[in-house]
Amino acid sequence: MASSRVVIVRGKGVVTRDGDINQKLLLSMYSRGFQLLQDSRTPKESLQHLFQINDRVGIKINTIGGRSISTRPEISLPLARLLAERGIPERGLIIWDRTNRELREAGYSLSMNRSVLKIMGTDTQGLGYNYDLVSHLNIGSRFSRIQTDAITASISLAILKDHGMAGVTAGMKNYFGAIHNPNKYHDFNCDPFVAELFETRQIKEKHRLSILDCLVVQYHRGPAYHARWAKNFGALIFSLDPVAADFVGWQVIEQLRTQDGLPSLKEENREPTYLKTAAKMGLGKARSEEIKIIEEEL
Amino acid sequence: MKRRQFFKAAGGAALLTSSNVGCFLMDLYAFSGQENLSHVEARYYKKHPDREIECELCPRFCKLGDKERGYCGVRENSGGTYYTLVYGKACSANIDPIEKKPLFHYLPGSNALSIATAGCNVNCKFCQNWEISQVRPEQVTHYDFPPQAVVQSAKKNACPVIAYTYTEPIIFYEYMYDTSVEANTKGIHNAVITGGYINPEPLEKLTKVVQAIKVDLKAFSQDFYTSYVRGKLEPVLEAIKIIAQSNVWLEIVYLVIPTLNDSTQELRGVCQWIMKEIGPDVPIHFSRFHPMYLVKNLPSTPISTLEKAYNIARQEGLRYAYIGNVPGHRAESTYCPKCQNVVVLRRGYTIEKINLTAGKCANCSTPIPGIWS
Repeated sequence: MASSRVVIVRGKGVVTRDGDINQKLLLSMYSRGFQLLQDSRTPKESLQHLFQINDRVGIKINTIGGRSISTRPEISLPLARLLAERGIPERGLIIWDRTNRELREAGYSLSMNRSVLKIMGTDTQGLGYNYDLVSHLNIGSRFSRIQTDAITASISLAILKDHGMAGVTAGMKNYFGAIHNPNKYHDFNCDPFVAELFETRQIKEKHRLSILDCLVVQYHRGPAYHARWAKNFGALIFSLDPVAADFVGWQVIEQLRTQDGLPSLKEENREPTYLKTAAKMGLGKARSEEIKIIEEEL
Repeated sequence: MKRRQFFKAAGGAALLTSSNVGCFLMDLYAFSGQENLSHVEARYYKKHPDREIECELCPRFCKLGDKERGYCGVRENSGGTYYTLVYGKACSANIDPIEKKPLFHYLPGSNALSIATAGCNVNCKFCQNWEISQVRPEQVTHYDFPPQAVVQSAKKNACPVIAYTYTEPIIFYEYMYDTSVEANTKGIHNAVITGGYINPEPLEKLTKVVQAIKVDLKAFSQDFYTSYVRGKLEPVLEAIKIIAQSNVWLEIVYLVIPTLNDSTQELRGVCQWIMKEIGPDVPIHFSRFHPMYLVKNLPSTPISTLEKAYNIARQEGLRYAYIGNVPGHRAESTYCPKCQNVVVLRRGYTIEKINLTAGKCANCSTPIPGIWS
C-alpha cells in the first residue's frame, strides 16, 4: 500500500522571543515544504501540480482564538504572496474564515477588492451561507458561499491546537468554519462529524493541500489560548493527505504533552478518533506505518 | 447600527416576506449579524480555572473554553464569563391560537403572543423550524424585543398568554424567565413549548413563573434520541415528572414518524409510562409528521397509524388523547370521559363549541382537568 507523505519543516528562530515571525525564514519554510512535498525541483513546479492558472484558491484559516492563537496574517499573507509569485493571480486568492469580526480580532485588515488578494469572512454582505441544505450521512448544513461559489481550490491553513472536545483541531476540522452550524458537531469527540463533513463534495472536491501552522502549538486546554501550555514549536506541516497531516499534528501534540508530563489525549478520553474514521472512509492515512514523514530544519 | 432597518419605512409587504415577525410588530428595529447580539450574563453555569466554564442549564453540560459557544449556538464564553447572546433578541414573533401549540386544555380559543430566538439544544432531524432553530443568532434577522416590550405588546394585542415557542425556549431561558415574571405582574399567562431537555434546577424555578408547559416527547427509545434528536431520553422523562408535580398545566406531544417511532410496542410503552408516572388526565397529542429538514425520505404519517396510537392511549387508560395535524379529525375534540359528550369541539385551530360549565362537562358535570378560563 502506498504511503502518504507528510513534510515537517522547522525554522530555527522563526518565532522570535517577542512572538514576532521571521518573515524571510517563513517564506523559505513554505518554499522548502512545497518542494519536499512532491520531490519537485522548484516550488513553482510543485504548485503547478496542485493548481491550475485559472483556479481561484481559498486559503481557509482559523481565527476563532483571537490574536494569540489563530492563523495570523504574518503566516497566511506570505503563503498568498508565494502562490502569487508562483503563478496564481493575486485576484484569484482569498484568505477567509467565518466572520469578519474574528478576522479583525486576529489582526487582519479586510480586503474586498476584486482585483487584489481578498480577505473576508462568510458574513461579508452579499456572501453568507447557501440557502440549500447539504445532507450527507450525519451532516446537515449550509455551506459558506466562499467555499461553494467563490473558490475552485482550497488550502486548509489551520493552526494546530489541542481541543477540549475533538482532542485535536487541525486541517480537517478547520472546515467546520465553512458551515453554518459547527456547534452541532462536537459530540462524541467530533467523530464521525469531522470526517463526514470533509467527505462532502463541497469540501473534498476542492481541498488540495493541508498546511498546519505549528509555529506556536497550544498542546493543552485548547482551543483557547493559555500561555502556560503554548509551545514555540517553529514548524509547518505539509501534506496532500488531509488525514495524514492531522495525524502527524496529533503526534506533535502528544509529544509536547509528554514532555510536559501531561496524560495522553486517550487517557483524557478525547483521542481524535475522527481520524481513524476518516481513514476508514478512504480519506487518507491514519497509521504511522502508512505515513512517510520527511523532516527538515532550516 | 448601520444594518438597522426601520421597518415602518420598509412597508408591510416587504416585512411579511422578509421576516418572521407579524405585522403587528412593525415598529421593531431589525438587525442581522453579530453587532447587535445581547451580552447578558447567563444563569446556571459554573466557572472553572483558566477562563473555562461549564453550562448547567441543560443535560449537555457543555464545557467551554474562552470564545467558544455551547451546542445551542446562543451562549458564549467570553473571558471566562458565560453570556446569552439572545436576551431580548426575538427572531420570530406572531399571534397564534393557543391550539396551534397545541395546548387543548388551556384557555381554549385564546390568542398567544408567540416569540422565539434563534437556537436549539438538540438537533432533531425532522425539525419543522430548522431555519431558525438550527442557526446562530447572527445568521437570522432578529429584533430588539425586551421583556417589557413583549408584555406591553401582549396587552396591546389582547393576548392573555405569551408563548415561548418555535425554537427551543430553554436556550433563551433568561429572556423567557424575565418576560414571564414581568407578564405575571400584568396578569398575563406564560406557556412554554419545549422539548424538555433541561436540568431539574432551572426547570423547577421556571415552573414557579409559568402557567403551562407543553413537552415534545420525541420518542420512547434512547436509540431514537441518539440518532434523530442528538440528546438523551431520560432527562426529558425526568422533566415531565417535575412539571407534573408542579402547579403548571402539562400537555405532551408525540410526533409519530413512520417506521422510526411508531411501533405498537413503543407507543404502548410511552402510554404505559405516562399512566404510571403522570396519570390518566394529562392530554397526549399524537401529531402527524410531514417530511422536513433531514428526514425527507419518509412519507407523511398515515392517518391509520395515528388512530392506532390514539386507540392504544385509550386502551391504556389515558382519558385525553388527541390526533394532531389532521384538521377535521374527530380526535381533535375533547370528550367527557364519563358521558362521552363533546366538551370542546375543535376543527383545526378553531374552537367551534365549548360545552363546559366551570370546568365541568355541561351534560354530566364531570370535572374536565385543565385551565379553562
